[in-house]
Amino acid sequence: MTIRLTVNGEERDIAAAPMTPLVDVLRDTLHLTGAKPVCREGFCGACMVLVDAVPTVSCLTPLVLAQGRDVETVEGLTSADSPMPVQAALEEHDAVQCGMCFPGMVVTLTHLTTAGRCEPSREAVKAGLVGNVCRCTGYERIVDAALAVMEDRP
Amino acid sequence: MPGMLPMTAPSVAMPTSLTEALGALADHGPGAVPLAGGTWIMRSPLRREGFAPAYVGLSRVAELGKINVTPDTIEIGAAVTHARLAEALEGLPEVAALAFAAGNSANPAIRNVATLGGNLCARGFAAADLVPALLCLDALVEVAGASATNRVGLADFLMHRDRLLQGSVLTRMILPRCGRPSAHARLPLRKAGDYPVAIVSMAAGIDGSGRIETSRIAVGSVEPVARRWTALEDALAGQPLDPARASDIARSLTTGFSGREAVEAPGWYRVQVLPTLVGRAVAALASQA
Repeated sequence: MTIRLTVNGEERDIAAAPMTPLVDVLRDTLHLTGAKPVCREGFCGACMVLVDAVPTVSCLTPLVLAQGRDVETVEGLTSADSPMPVQAALEEHDAVQCGMCFPGMVVTLTHLTTAGRCEPSREAVKAGLVGNVCRCTGYERIVDAALAVMEDRP
Repeated sequence: MPGMLPMTAPSVAMPTSLTEALGALADHGPGAVPLAGGTWIMRSPLRREGFAPAYVGLSRVAELGKINVTPDTIEIGAAVTHARLAEALEGLPEVAALAFAAGNSANPAIRNVATLGGNLCARGFAAADLVPALLCLDALVEVAGASATNRVGLADFLMHRDRLLQGSVLTRMILPRCGRPSAHARLPLRKAGDYPVAIVSMAAGIDGSGRIETSRIAVGSVEPVARRWTALEDALAGQPLDPARASDIARSLTTGFSGREAVEAPGWYRVQVLPTLVGRAVAALASQA
């Protein structure tokens, strides 16, 4: 079965079983390895991508439910040459440690720091990050970075 | 055979109407299962259940995604997500229990895709937040089959779920609007983001002197399937909205529960925390009254 979806702005036809987890298609077929299948239970957020601009755990998204939809992965949201605001803020606040959770963290933060998505308060940012588990940092610097982006946005 | 993975990948039909969905279920036979957000079904292999031979996706059936609020009832389509439900019910005090359950279960990404119908139909999902909330709100379940559409009380639905869902689709919930405050007290092991160890949902009619006239109280996550706590409902009739007193009364009435054992908590613990959750639910009701 061929399923068509848009990944990082490019239309792709994927020949795979319809219940294949989206994260496996992204990694194994499209070689986009930013999203990581860590818990495969929807708890950890390491596989987070945007589907139609909404943070979505790609481990629990069957490919068939992504049909015709717009998927953005961390590779599509970021740039090594000119870091986007969330990337720059995370670096500036020295928030990144082992890196396992950070692709998913960046995807969720990209959504949260978009104007009108989240109240610029520690409590609201923490509530928005409930589904992104980090076992290194203690979260506070990540929250600092998110708030810095929100305060700087036009 | 339980735990055995199917030899071929499951097929998935994506109908655009309820009639088509029922037709697809009939075409694929008794092994076909409706698929909504997928957050429970996608973990079937982790539970060693394997996938069903065929799924019928409901996300393109527009009529299952509607919410209709009238002066007398609130009707919620089965494909409404937790996030949409929480947003739609905001500011309606008589369904505060359901709004809180929908807005605080799991995590934001799961709430964006997990549906009301999935929460009610997932077999073996003891920690479903919406179920006790809907039980305390006296919800009716509408189930559409090939030949008829029936409405049943939620408790009956839970008791006969497998039979009622055979070849059928849960289409909506109907909540009566009776103007009584309601509350949902849940205890996850972390502050948020994991399953609650125990849940107490409560709706109560309060008289002019602040006493409980009648109440509906439901307990979730403690036993395999959520159920009403009728002994506590009877005992709280005529009592003030006093969290400490309600908690004490609840403590004397927990012997009827048999807590389920699971990796995150032993059964005795789930039962032991119930009185505290009753106190929290009563405190939340008092703040609304």
